[in-house]
Amino acid sequence: MHETKEKHDFEPKIVAFVCTWCTYAGADLAGTSRLQYPSNVRVLKFPCTGRIDPVFILRAFQRGADGVLVSGCHPGDCHYMAGNLHARRRFAAFRGLLDFVGVDLNRLQFSWVSAAEGGKWVEVVTELTERIRAMGPMEEFKTLETEECWSGALATPELQEAYNQI
Amino acid sequence: MNRAEKLETAIPIDTSCYAAVTDAIRNEAARILSDGTVTAVVGYKAGRRAGTTMPAIVTDPEKAGDLIFSPACVNNLALYLTKAKKDVVKKGRIAIVAKGCDMRALAGLMGESQLKREEVFIIGVVCAGVKGSGAGNGEPLTTGNLARKCRECTVHTPEGADLTAGTMPSLPELTPVEAREMARLEAMTPAERWEFWKEQFSRCVRCMACRQVCPFCYCEQCLCDKNRPQAVESTPRPAGNMAWHIVRAMHLAGRCAGCAECERVCPMDIPLNLLNRKMAQEMKELYGFETGLQPVEKGPLAEYKDNDDQSFIK
Repeated sequence: MHETKEKHDFEPKIVAFVCTWCTYAGADLAGTSRLQYPSNVRVLKFPCTGRIDPVFILRAFQRGADGVLVSGCHPGDCHYMAGNLHARRRFAAFRGLLDFVGVDLNRLQFSWVSAAEGGKWVEVVTELTERIRAMGPMEEFKTLETEECWSGALATPELQEAYNQI
Repeated sequence: MNRAEKLETAIPIDTSCYAAVTDAIRNEAARILSDGTVTAVVGYKAGRRAGTTMPAIVTDPEKAGDLIFSPACVNNLALYLTKAKKDVVKKGRIAIVAKGCDMRALAGLMGESQLKREEVFIIGVVCAGVKGSGAGNGEPLTTGNLARKCRECTVHTPEGADLTAGTMPSLPELTPVEAREMARLEAMTPAERWEFWKEQFSRCVRCMACRQVCPFCYCEQCLCDKNRPQAVESTPRPAGNMAWHIVRAMHLAGRCAGCAECERVCPMDIPLNLLNRKMAQEMKELYGFETGLQPVEKGPLAEYKDNDDQSFIK
């Protein structure tokens, strides 16, 4: 009856920041329609995409997310009129910044999923999960998280001397 | 970054205009203080060591003679008009000595309703450039010790001030060091850029000087000082440093006036203005926005258009 579930070496952790009016309802529809999608995604519900601060995305990466999905209402459908349009500008800028700092933008996905698009939700989540599975774990932020203090080595003899005297 | 740069053979820059600017500032300050146009003048006076300057607030017309302008006048005085500086009594109209880059910051503050144009008397100064952070106190201004931002300055002669002091001398040709550095970074792979910034940010000691000196960081409670919930780790560990600098650049996107004070005050020489420049470049490419000398009511991230680019959204 059931499809046999494929065993993978790596199960990515994906955090989805979704708006309560569209994408959350869309994901709910996918559930009630019994559509299957990867359970790697952890959905966090926000009032609006305009509420989703770039800091949340950073925090997710720092705390071990391998990928982040931000999803909300289509332009023009925002419950608060223009929250998603403000978010669109903000995230366009944030992407540019992350790219400049050296984060692979393939790990960050934005999408518009309406309350009627259960199928699109499944598609977006599946595609992102498979892409990140192929990319492997997000090491950059995790390594940073484990590093302590200065990465500067005791490069000069004077510093080494001072260190030895402690 | 500024410190190690010994670029080309240093050509002296004509600094004769600075004396004329100083005279003009003194005369104007004495005039507007004595006739009651303003209650105080925010400007520069000589520092304790020869060749240095420091910010000064003059309220007495007799003291107007203390005010100076020289290549050591590096500070962006717009900071003293924000609500971050509570000890500056903002009663009545206040005059401020502003270089072109400082005037952009003033325009930004006006756009954000932090200042009213009629409350400020702007003494705009014609500026050939100021010294970079590595320059010695006694050194004359040359193309070698000029601050990096001044090498690509577009507002040597500011417009829209109540008074513009001085006339611009002709400058030798300058190589755009920062633009070259930007191009070098952009040509790297993301992994190389990550290594570059990781190395830079790992030096950060989280002294928050970049925040304290920024005219646009006037929030009474900074997000990065908050705990419960803590958004950004406050200890100087690599993880928190990376987050802080990303958040800082993001909060200044579309607002930063490019005065590069953050980079100047950084005790660890982190090239912070590269991040600011990157955001300014993004704003220009995406929304055709550039910070200028005229206040705009809404910055690029405070407004939207129906046809904004959404090619990155599925």
